[in-house]
Amino acid sequence: MQPIKMLVDFFDVRLGVRDLYDRELKGYLLPRNVNVWYTLGAVVLSLFSLQIVTGIFLLMYYVPDSEKAFASVQYIVNEVPFGWLFRMLHAIGANVIMIALLLHMLSVLFMGSYKGRREFTWLSGFIILNLTMGLCLTGYLLPWSQLSFWATTVATDAAGAIPVIGDYLVEFLRGGPTVGNQTLGRFFALHVVGMPLILIGLIGAHLFCVKRRGISPPPFGPDYRTTDELPFFEHEKHAGGIPFFPNYFVKDAAIICFFMAFLLAIIFYAPGMFFPESAFQPADPFLTPPHIKPEWYFLWAYQTLKIFPSEIVGLGVQAAFMTFLALLPFIDRGPERRPSKRPLFMTCYVLIILAFVAISVWGHYS
Amino acid sequence: MTAHVTPPQRRKFLFTMLGGLGALIGAASAWPVFRFLAPSDTGGGSDQVSVPRADVAVGKAHFFQFRSKPAVILQPSPGDFIALSAVCTHLGCVVAWQEQAGEFLCPCHGGRFSAQGLVLGGPPPKPLESFVVELDGDQLKIG
Amino acid sequence: MSRSLCYLFVVVMVACWSMPAQLLAADSVCIQCHSGQAGALAAPVADWRTSVHAENGISCNDCHGGDPTDFGMAMAPESGFLGAPDYADVPAFCGRCHVGVADAYQAGAHGEAIEEGGAQCVVCHGNHAIQKASLDLINEENCSQCHSYERAALIRSSLVETDTLATKVEHDLDRLYRLGLNVEDMQGRLFNQRNSFHRIFHGVDVERVRQETSGVQSKLGEISNEVAAIDSTLEQRKLWGSVVIGLFVLVGVIFLLVRKTYEEEEKG
Repeated sequence: MQPIKMLVDFFDVRLGVRDLYDRELKGYLLPRNVNVWYTLGAVVLSLFSLQIVTGIFLLMYYVPDSEKAFASVQYIVNEVPFGWLFRMLHAIGANVIMIALLLHMLSVLFMGSYKGRREFTWLSGFIILNLTMGLCLTGYLLPWSQLSFWATTVATDAAGAIPVIGDYLVEFLRGGPTVGNQTLGRFFALHVVGMPLILIGLIGAHLFCVKRRGISPPPFGPDYRTTDELPFFEHEKHAGGIPFFPNYFVKDAAIICFFMAFLLAIIFYAPGMFFPESAFQPADPFLTPPHIKPEWYFLWAYQTLKIFPSEIVGLGVQAAFMTFLALLPFIDRGPERRPSKRPLFMTCYVLIILAFVAISVWGHYS
Repeated sequence: MTAHVTPPQRRKFLFTMLGGLGALIGAASAWPVFRFLAPSDTGGGSDQVSVPRADVAVGKAHFFQFRSKPAVILQPSPGDFIALSAVCTHLGCVVAWQEQAGEFLCPCHGGRFSAQGLVLGGPPPKPLESFVVELDGDQLKIG
Repeated sequence: MSRSLCYLFVVVMVACWSMPAQLLAADSVCIQCHSGQAGALAAPVADWRTSVHAENGISCNDCHGGDPTDFGMAMAPESGFLGAPDYADVPAFCGRCHVGVADAYQAGAHGEAIEEGGAQCVVCHGNHAIQKASLDLINEENCSQCHSYERAALIRSSLVETDTLATKVEHDLDRLYRLGLNVEDMQGRLFNQRNSFHRIFHGVDVERVRQETSGVQSKLGEISNEVAAIDSTLEQRKLWGSVVIGLFVLVGVIFLLVRKTYEEEEKG
């Protein structure tokens, strides 16, 4: 232990790391009844880090030019040692992140963690969700396959439904009248630098809000207390709670490991799951493959647009729903967080989840 | 009589196991990263092929493999060497050289290409891909 | 003049009501006129629509010549209209595009016997309702009209073996393609082997077919071996992947056990 003590001493006399540890890690107390759903934040954080690392590796060989992009991805997957692994980690990782993000949001909704003056936490999280969808959309185009090209064409076309500025907006998004090299350029810049920078900033803000206000305890068990909306700031302490580090940290680590195992299982046992045939054909602007669909996390939007006879109404419905969701903490102001005591909320919760699943399945088969 | 193992003792054992397994996972992660970043043995970029000049008589075509695909080098007039892909741009059959006519004919659907690889007739949509040829002594270097 | 105008009117009316809109835009005048005719003159249209030629955009004028855009010049000799070929002229007719096959055919027994009524393209492949060539074209009914089936049977069994191998290789390559591997080179080689083999047998020379068979099969075998090597690499990857997955699960479980030790302490 001596060498370790010496090492820690070295940093302690310069930065006070022991004090930092006592306050922020060991001294950071979580409610006693904290449950496994609280690990999802750490899961998403690790998966994002994985995306950045694998993304950097892919960047070493990827060429963002419409003539060379597809071939560069082929090169990575076929020629570069373990290139296939980094590609798959990145592509399938994106899907697993969406799953984890949705679970994280659903658990927050279920436990009413957005209540008690935690609107900023919710808002930053909601924007992170949208930014992640933007990252998925921009990243999808980069391999320049038939799937990439046509899914992007369909997705950017949707903006055309907006009256007056719709058509111009579509051209603005694409950098031209059709998806082409200029689209690839801007999507690449956004995907690699623009959005990740904003994302990192938002994640920082999100974590700051979480720590500053204090963890919202699960609304279960005998210790439940209604969160009063006080007219002044209060950091919610959990005296007598369990230390974040190392006690709860190991649970974070366990769930992260299980998610990694899940990700690797898809890569090695179901590699084709998120790769339809059109993902392996180079983009052909003159040949639309049959059955082009967006990825599963966009099917709800895709199908909603198809249901409504007027595209603008379809877009409007989606925009209204997203706005409602974004402003939820300002709409649902009741102090009650126990699910059993929020019948209206729980009914809507279940119905909306079912509706999303149903509409996505419909979108898949339509 | 069983000795009661305290949580800290169990923890120590578990952390030791964790250390070992973690090292394994670390190695399993570090190896692909290393191999991905390490420079490869193949020179990368030098896929030149050499064909002896004597193999390409005037008016005749010599077929060979280039970048693992069929290719052809011909000498339509003395000293003038042309290297082309021998894969027909219609559906991928290998074109045949018609010495009498001085042009390529694809046996699958009758596509015709000139000695320079331009489309003369039939279904092919694009000319044959051409490659750089250099005469180096008595060797023709393609690519 | 009024007669052709009448025809025109009828045809246009029939066309408008009987054809889906998108076909209307692409149909040549040949199709437009003949589909409105009766009996044998209209039959080729329906036949052709089911054909592999139609699938690939090969229309009437591609074989018969003529102008597909102008009713007046559609069947005029000046616009290159060739009409329907005589029995013995069929191989040259089809051979304008299918060069390799025609050459092999003409050098073989059928080609030499054509004046005496030897089998030509249409006898086995049909003319307008041509389908993608398949092994089923060689059968007892088709091939014993002039001679015993024995020779045809020998050629067929040679073909069956090679085609089975080629189909298996094709499926394997498709499977690898769906995993993102670059199999373009191997697919090209398979395509060429299959092509040259199918072409050769049109010469209906049993010995020649046997010789070619062994050559083609060995080339296919080479591709098969490459596929097998790729498959074993994939199996290896899967194995290592499983090990790492197992490690992660194990590490996760151990972390949970560690958590349990903390929980015991937390309870006090």
